[in-house]
Amino acid sequence: MQGFAATKLSEFEQGRISRRTLIETLTLAVTSICAADANAAQTAVPKGVKAALVNHVSYTCPNFKQAGDWYSKVFNLDQVGLKETEVTLPFGKKGEQPYNVAAKDVPLTFIICRTRDLNAPPANGAAPRPKPTAVINHIGYTVADFERNRVREQLKAMGVANLRDGGEYSLHMTDPFGYDVQISGLANNALTDV
Amino acid sequence: MERFIADLVGKFETGTISRRDFCEGVALAALVYAAGGAEANAAPPSGLKMLGINHVSYACPDYRKARDFYSSVLCMEKLKDDGKSRVNLAFGPAPGKGGAFIVARNAPANPPAPPRAVVDHVCYTLSNWNDARVNAALKAVGQNPTGRSGSVNVYDPFNVQVQIASAEGENPFI
Repeated sequence: MQGFAATKLSEFEQGRISRRTLIETLTLAVTSICAADANAAQTAVPKGVKAALVNHVSYTCPNFKQAGDWYSKVFNLDQVGLKETEVTLPFGKKGEQPYNVAAKDVPLTFIICRTRDLNAPPANGAAPRPKPTAVINHIGYTVADFERNRVREQLKAMGVANLRDGGEYSLHMTDPFGYDVQISGLANNALTDV
Repeated sequence: MERFIADLVGKFETGTISRRDFCEGVALAALVYAAGGAEANAAPPSGLKMLGINHVSYACPDYRKARDFYSSVLCMEKLKDDGKSRVNLAFGPAPGKGGAFIVARNAPANPPAPPRAVVDHVCYTLSNWNDARVNAALKAVGQNPTGRSGSVNVYDPFNVQVQIASAEGENPFI
């Protein structure tokens, strides 16, 4: 970054770029640095695609409104896009960026709580959904400033069921439909979770 | 950030800071920006503040097939692979800085009773989306993507739906 800044500064001093361009270029460089690795890999990798973030989790249950209300209450999430059979819960407000993501084309992650028959044939005549032989048996969520004892007390006060410790850094609980939900802070990550 | 950079330029122009100070200031700004502001990690006065998905716990008959699929198709990084029954497949920001991962593991012999709800699929965002490039890249790794502009679906080796989308294809505010 220092070398890039020096280069742009030289161009400015030589009159090759304007003051405005210097500021805009350096601002863009600084705010894009998080996305640089992903973007470089996206163009360098000839096969496959590079996931930048979870876009959404599709959660199907007997009563999507009950699920939506539970996740809203526990995680302080707003509900948007209410439909007959589903509601969407984004992890933040409109215009916010996902945590530590600089790329402007990566939206906030969200949960879609749905009530639907997963075995029903697709309405558009597409091939039926094959029966999975694997299961996503829980989702772990990262919350800010996680301190297990304090969070446990908060969740108890909300009446959250089946609270239990998970490893060194997290808590598990069950949602209204018995689905396992784990919460932790940033300390629980791909390098520490075993 | 733009105001900060403009201030640096102004200070350089007036001789308040040296060329070296200017370049170091820009580099430091990049580091601070990449690390995220401290306020982003602060809990609200009451309740929890969601930062994002930490991980997706995935149980299957053979974790190695899942590992190979997600690492080759979605370019996830293989971490903590014990070579026997589980691996962490990382993506997004760095681990500990908001990055997420899939824990792919062999299903236990006696799994607990299933809940009354299911996560029927997870959708992943790609940056710099291009329909033709995404479809070609997926076909290059043996997939048969179906879907629409900005959103495609494939199935993993255990028939779990995997959706891949752009910000326009799947966005809670559009």
